[in-house]
Amino acid sequence: MVAGPAFAHAADQGFVLLLPTTAYITGGAATVAATILLLVCLRPGQIEVILRPITLPLKRGRGRWCNWGQIAASLCLMLLILIGLRGPTDPQANLMPLVLWTIWWMLLFMVQALIFDVWKWVNPWPGLHRLLAPDHKAPLTLAKKLSIWPAVVLMAAFQGFVLADAAPNDPGRLASFALGYWGFTVLGMTLFGRKSWLGQVECFSVLFALIGTIRSVRGSAFGVPGWQVFHGNQFDLSHAAFVIIILASGSFDGLYETFWWLDQLGVNPLEYPGRTAMIWPTTLGLYTSMLLLTCIFALAVYLGTVLVNETASFKIAFIRFSITLLPIAIGYHFAHYFVTFLVQIQVVVATLADPFALGWNLFGLGSRPVRVGFLTVPDTVKTIWLTQAGVVVLSHVLAVILCHRTAEALCTSRRDILLLQLGLSILMIFYTIFGLWLLSSPRGA
Amino acid sequence: MTKTSKISRRSTLLGLGAGASALAAGGVLPGSLGFAQAQSSAPIKIGFQKHATGIGAAYGRWYDVATNAAAARINEMGGINGRPVEIITEDDATDPGRGAEVLEKFANQHEVDVAFGTLFSHVVIGSAPRAGELKLPYFVVSEGHHVASGMLNRYTLQPGITDVKSQVISMAPFVADNLGKKVTMIYPDFAFGHDHRDFFSQAIEAQGGEVVAKIAIPPTETTFTRYFPSIPRETEVIYHVMVGPAVLTFVKEMGEFFGPSRPEIFGFIDSLEAVDIQSPGLEFLEGTYFWEGMPRYKQANESEAASAYRAAVGVNDSGAAIDDPANVATYAHMFGCWETMHIIKAGMEAADYQGPADRSKLIEAVEAMTDMPESIEHPQGEKVFNGKTHQTFGKQYISKVGDGRLDVVHTASIEDGLYEDEVDYTTQSF
Repeated sequence: MVAGPAFAHAADQGFVLLLPTTAYITGGAATVAATILLLVCLRPGQIEVILRPITLPLKRGRGRWCNWGQIAASLCLMLLILIGLRGPTDPQANLMPLVLWTIWWMLLFMVQALIFDVWKWVNPWPGLHRLLAPDHKAPLTLAKKLSIWPAVVLMAAFQGFVLADAAPNDPGRLASFALGYWGFTVLGMTLFGRKSWLGQVECFSVLFALIGTIRSVRGSAFGVPGWQVFHGNQFDLSHAAFVIIILASGSFDGLYETFWWLDQLGVNPLEYPGRTAMIWPTTLGLYTSMLLLTCIFALAVYLGTVLVNETASFKIAFIRFSITLLPIAIGYHFAHYFVTFLVQIQVVVATLADPFALGWNLFGLGSRPVRVGFLTVPDTVKTIWLTQAGVVVLSHVLAVILCHRTAEALCTSRRDILLLQLGLSILMIFYTIFGLWLLSSPRGA
Repeated sequence: MTKTSKISRRSTLLGLGAGASALAAGGVLPGSLGFAQAQSSAPIKIGFQKHATGIGAAYGRWYDVATNAAAARINEMGGINGRPVEIITEDDATDPGRGAEVLEKFANQHEVDVAFGTLFSHVVIGSAPRAGELKLPYFVVSEGHHVASGMLNRYTLQPGITDVKSQVISMAPFVADNLGKKVTMIYPDFAFGHDHRDFFSQAIEAQGGEVVAKIAIPPTETTFTRYFPSIPRETEVIYHVMVGPAVLTFVKEMGEFFGPSRPEIFGFIDSLEAVDIQSPGLEFLEGTYFWEGMPRYKQANESEAASAYRAAVGVNDSGAAIDDPANVATYAHMFGCWETMHIIKAGMEAADYQGPADRSKLIEAVEAMTDMPESIEHPQGEKVFNGKTHQTFGKQYISKVGDGRLDVVHTASIEDGLYEDEVDYTTQSF
């Protein structure tokens, strides 16, 4: 059997391999370790002050405009599904995969986590439903004790689709999935009510609500990112599972493309056999990584609970500490998609010029060239890599701060506050090293 | 149901717009001849199996540019048999399994006339059997030896690009006569590298030379210093075909190992396709030699046809996108799409192709082709097509790195790359 040109693009990853990444990884891990040590010096209660929000006397809107935003989002989704089913078959010329993955999954995810509650404006599920059935009375009731477990299951399935499906970019296939999920959501909202369904089952509403708790701003209150975790939010085991799933998925998303992972599977990264051949190894790897992270995290928490003199419930500690992993999940999301986003957002803009492939050039956007050459300029590659690495390190620093605050909420003595976090501190340092190693590893998938 | 625009926007974005205008301004395009004379004005549908995602995406982008530039030119000239050409693009994700599904979609959903454009060999090998089952002519642009080796079928043809066996054996006379007869080969330890090892070992022996060491590097290797001491002292030439993200590291470490006194070095541009030769770390390549399928840098004696093609695909004199000079093209391979598109046109016209019922007539018409003179349809150079093996043969270029660019120092003749037929597809029934 003869292989053709076996490699696509040596440049960007090639330049990363030439960077002194071992030194950068050491520096990143040292930063996280230094933060942990710095927190040790704080007196109990000081971190609580730092994480206390400031409330500004701003007037709150009544949310009516949000409803119209959601209706517009419903119509946009409908249009995208139509384009997906009937438009260009090239995923790089079809707005369905372009908008879904680049605008929603990459951009809006970060906006929700960092800037404002964008999901309140663009959630496409309740808009039309509310318009058509404003006073809908649900015939069935969703048990409160289910909490967000249904959403956990759906999110795990969605991550499987993103990572393991043979063609998640195929416009028609993606549009069919979106249509199916929309139908499922409409049925759920009709049977169980909009609020219950969106709060407990609809995994994207749950996801956006959860990552929104890391944001600095909530309503008219501002604070250090993550302050919301300690003000007005109740979490249970299902929330812990949800957070661990998104962190494990983000981590595995980086891992399964690396030479290291492919080597473990006996797959030649220079002749990658394609997603079709990797469906089962990827699926198995993804769900194993979710289990593995749960176990490692549980062990780290357990270590803390047995070291302290005070009574600390393992279950409560597990739940509350798990929420502190959210910044890392968000940081990984950014780092993983940053380069793709920089290219794909240009494709989105250019494709908006002719959404139905009719030869239009709306607003002259189609004349804009899509530039990918910056990925072959060493200085740019270095800047991009350091940006990604910086965000990964910062996300761990924030996680460490939230972790300390959580420990203060669970223990009172200084000794116990520190010992409760011991396992987690070790985990955070190693996870920083792991995250930066992922960024610096050659990829073959 | 319209599935694609006739010319995808992506091509326009990557320079086709400027390129097509340049062609027209240069008087190469005869202007629109209209589609009125055809019995049917329905478009000829060409299914483009594109590596839009996956490890082949960098190639896919440029194959897309060349394909759509060729389609634009063909349509400007009046189309094929008076009918416009429509490119139907589907992403195969550089995935053999997906590739076969895409061919099914082409045949059953889009009802294309032919399928076209696949580069990566494993995708060709995964897709070709389905093309045979669907009785869908499948024109690949892969440079793999799998077509001429006889492992595929009568529906699969490679008329627009030479295969790796021909490329490799045609290098041996130049290497033996000019660089040295004692060769150490450094190659990745899988099929791609093994082909180079096997084909070149035989070819250099035929020239009175020998391979004094064969150093196979595991595909997942990212540092190479420990392999260089295995290079025998008697080595006169190093032949390297490393690919993957670690290529830059390979070159840098090889430079550190040898310092200023090095043997002659010869490689295949596949290692650095779409990579700027002036990238930091590649300084060591100054004075070394590369095979090129088509010269990346504009040569002083570049033919009018080659220049017109360069303009049509929106590539500047340094082999990069005119509107994004850091974006180096996959110039050594992408001409294959342009040439294959024109061969499909010539074949359909020779067969008086009217629709899918004439697919076998189209294949017979292409099989009957032999000489393809250098022209705007064949800007890479003249070719000789072997209808029995479904493989074309052409000139190969050897360029030397100097002053941060590649300049052709030798052109291997078509005869240098010929070898015995290994199959006769014309004996297979349709």
